[in-house]
Amino acid sequence: MNYRTQQKITRICWIVGLCALAIPFVFPFLWMLSGALKGQADVFASSSLVPAKVHWSNFSDVFAYQPFARQYFNSLYIAIVVTVSTLFISSMAGYALARLRFGGSAFILLVLVSALMMPEEVTIIPNFFLMKELGLMNSHMPLILLPLFGSQGVMATFLMRQYFLALPKELEEAGRMDGLTRFGVFFKIALPLSKPALSAVSIITFLFSWNLFLEPLVFVNDIELFTLPLALANFTDTYGLPLWHLQLAATALAVIPMLIVYVLAQRQIVESFAMSGVKG
Amino acid sequence: MSAVRKGPSLSLKAREAITGWLFVSPILTGFLIFFVGPLIAVFYYSTTEWNLLSQQSRFVGMANYVDALTRNETFWDVLVNSLVFAAGLVPLNMAMALGLALALSKSRPGAVFFRTVFFAPVITSAVAWAIIWTFLLQHESGAVNQGLSIFGIDGPNWLHEPDWAMVSVIFTRVLKTVGLNMILYIAALQSIPRDYDEAARIEGASNWEIFRRITWPLLAPTTLVIMVITVVGSLKVFDHIYLMTGGGPQNGTMVLAFYIYEQGFKFFNTGYAAALAVVLFALILLLTIVQMLLKAARK
Amino acid sequence: MSDLMIKRLIYSAAITSSLGFGANTVSAEELRFTVWTGSEAHLKMLGEIADSFTATHPDVTVRFDTIPFGDYVQKITLQMAGGNAPDLGWLLENSAPAFVDAGALADVSGTLKSADGYDYADFSQPAMGLWETSDATYGIPFSTSPFLVYYNKSLYDAAGLETPDQRIKDGSWTWEQLKSDAKALRDASSGVWGFETFDGQGYGSRVWHTLIPIIRAYGGSAWEGDSCKLDSPLSVQAVQLFHDMVYADGSTVPPGEQGDFFSGKAALTVTQISRVSKLADATFDWGIAPLPSGPAGDAATVGQAAVVAFAQGKHKELAAEFLAHMTNKENVAKMAAFFPPARKSVLNGDGFLTSNTAVAPEKMAFVAEGIESGSVLPSHQRFPQIEAEARPNFDALWSKNADVAATMKKLCSGISPLL
Repeated sequence: MNYRTQQKITRICWIVGLCALAIPFVFPFLWMLSGALKGQADVFASSSLVPAKVHWSNFSDVFAYQPFARQYFNSLYIAIVVTVSTLFISSMAGYALARLRFGGSAFILLVLVSALMMPEEVTIIPNFFLMKELGLMNSHMPLILLPLFGSQGVMATFLMRQYFLALPKELEEAGRMDGLTRFGVFFKIALPLSKPALSAVSIITFLFSWNLFLEPLVFVNDIELFTLPLALANFTDTYGLPLWHLQLAATALAVIPMLIVYVLAQRQIVESFAMSGVKG
Repeated sequence: MSAVRKGPSLSLKAREAITGWLFVSPILTGFLIFFVGPLIAVFYYSTTEWNLLSQQSRFVGMANYVDALTRNETFWDVLVNSLVFAAGLVPLNMAMALGLALALSKSRPGAVFFRTVFFAPVITSAVAWAIIWTFLLQHESGAVNQGLSIFGIDGPNWLHEPDWAMVSVIFTRVLKTVGLNMILYIAALQSIPRDYDEAARIEGASNWEIFRRITWPLLAPTTLVIMVITVVGSLKVFDHIYLMTGGGPQNGTMVLAFYIYEQGFKFFNTGYAAALAVVLFALILLLTIVQMLLKAARK
Repeated sequence: MSDLMIKRLIYSAAITSSLGFGANTVSAEELRFTVWTGSEAHLKMLGEIADSFTATHPDVTVRFDTIPFGDYVQKITLQMAGGNAPDLGWLLENSAPAFVDAGALADVSGTLKSADGYDYADFSQPAMGLWETSDATYGIPFSTSPFLVYYNKSLYDAAGLETPDQRIKDGSWTWEQLKSDAKALRDASSGVWGFETFDGQGYGSRVWHTLIPIIRAYGGSAWEGDSCKLDSPLSVQAVQLFHDMVYADGSTVPPGEQGDFFSGKAALTVTQISRVSKLADATFDWGIAPLPSGPAGDAATVGQAAVVAFAQGKHKELAAEFLAHMTNKENVAKMAAFFPPARKSVLNGDGFLTSNTAVAPEKMAFVAEGIESGSVLPSHQRFPQIEAEARPNFDALWSKNADVAATMKKLCSGISPLL
């Protein structure tokens, strides 16, 4: 067997192995699409992926059943607000903790780092009563404030700090020579240089907010204020039985745009992680 | 110009300190209000007997802890479940992430396609993922068992037998999150200089030796970060449990984060739930300290 | 399909009132009323009741908020604790003692007794049991609904089996019979199950609804006073019967499977009369029968739900008035189309048997009999805690080799301290 055929065989094995591994990742999406197009009784009646009759009306029924467009918008705008504010607040704090000398900075860092791994479940009960006192129950504010200032915000701060630490100091020093203040150095020099870290933080934060489930479950009552995850879990008929076909149609509507964005941006996503130095 | 800006009363050092505090003040303020304050409050709540429904509370000292630790066997089940969940999920997730990253880090044709495939669940809403898998894991009509039956395997009732339910939730959770770890590993692998590899190869090292002697040690920092993220992620798992099993059957998938939610918001035992939250806090603090020590030891 | 086109927050009487009164609606007040139904038919009826209230209270609108059944109690509790309590809502019998005990319900007796032509004494005394104390009234049952067996007549006919209706006449409609019918009607090849539990939720949130009717027919009970009776030999025998249906016969939709009676995928189910609305588009013939009898005779079981006003609601006065309006004679008669009433005048009136156009009068007679003779599902002041304790033990029943007696014993030892 010569080298070339051996390489060919390795390559075939590689592809076959990965294809097999890919099944549990891909099949759920196919099944979701097929279920989204089936009638209510068909979802389980036939195991075929091809619907006996295509029910496009499922998609319009989703919008008649609950204010789905509104809920979609809620999720989207909350995730954007959380991401943008996190970028702003965390990069400033991260920069200060990496570059500026001030009394207490070591202590602040220690406190923040110890909260890095604290899940929101630890503080959800007091936060429930805090939000009540602040009059923020049944609003989107808890869904914005808690990720921003909880472990997610801390994680973003920490990642930004690590990135700024690794950035060469010389450029900033040159900027200071030119008469820039610390603010100026931060906004005009450090921030533009940290695009990879900013995009990695954006992705992580956006996904965190997009996936948020416990907080909306606890803080939001009105169906118009629901976010997508709550809305998806809310397709039940009169007596609490799930409306599978609508649930799957809604799931498809929630998933597909994200997938498209991801496929278009996938190279940048990997690169931003590679360059952001998310590795401790 | 610069002479005007540098006020005579403030030294450079003081100005830097002020800027520093200014920069950290937004996150610090929010952190104190929405994290530290509630954290202190949860310690206080944990010493009360508090019914969410009647909103009456009274001080009971350590009774909630005594209750959890000595009288309530569910608590220990829950704690064990949380650890089993982490112990099952973390190694599986990391091994799979590393394996995929090694297979996909070089830019061969097809690599980008497969990266996309394995990352797709990461950007899929967790609720959507859990819902779909709940369908796929049904006993007879579920696709998983129908697939197994082709090979003559009679699959279990995945989500309705305690041990299998745990396996199922771990498995779906791994599928959901492994993509992110894979990307982090790929990023780390791509930053390893090529010449290390080539030098070793010229000296006749096998693939395994290269991995063990060069790649793996160089990945250590990444591995540590991924481990931290994954362990924490596994201890806070909520949505998968809520949607797929509700903690059942027989509390077989009842983990701490979900138990806190149920006790606090479903069964109205708010004080008891606060005590559970303190336990979770202690557990994670312990992990954080261990991780810091590990990191320090490495340096 | 139109049944599925449910609009959740359906009704706002604002439109009608603003048409009539223009600028006066600036001071409009909205009463928020939580329900667990999303049925278009139910919400339309509720909306009509709200409209007639708006006719006399032009500034008031009523908004019906649907919360899924499984999350209902939890959601409204969260809303109350969060300072966002609904004004009114439906409440199930098993939550009643806990809510009354916690002071979460408003006492509406004053408003009811002084309402014009209300006739408070018209409510059947046994039905009021959970909802009143010597001097206070915390809710008015709007549905005192016996559990019934729905059967797929087409499947019975195709199999040549004697239907439950025929069996009632000769007294052979027993749980044993239901078990053997279910077994005979199970057709795995076409995906048809013999028996589906209450709304297909009989192993989770409705496990009590699955087991209590059988337990009672066998002479057992849930608890008596502070002693748990779920592990008594009679109770165990009943649970064993159901366990056999699921595992020995394989005739009953097991946990983790779907088999919807209303789309023809199960031959029999136990449910209530309000579910008739789901059969409007059924493609098969169906029938309704009372619960089967057991060794201890008939044991009709009634599920009860009441309209309550919440103590923390923002419009307590108005809420009480709306409660009085909703449960006056006229509106109770209206609701009787879906929800069997606790008003004697309505129940015994000619109107009741013909109130539900989808159900023949002689079938409605089963409902009336059930209300007469049935006992309400078990409830307790600490029901949420009991449920938390019982759930894992109930779960333990659902495997092929479960030891029913031992499991029920463990269940009892778990909940006894709470009783």
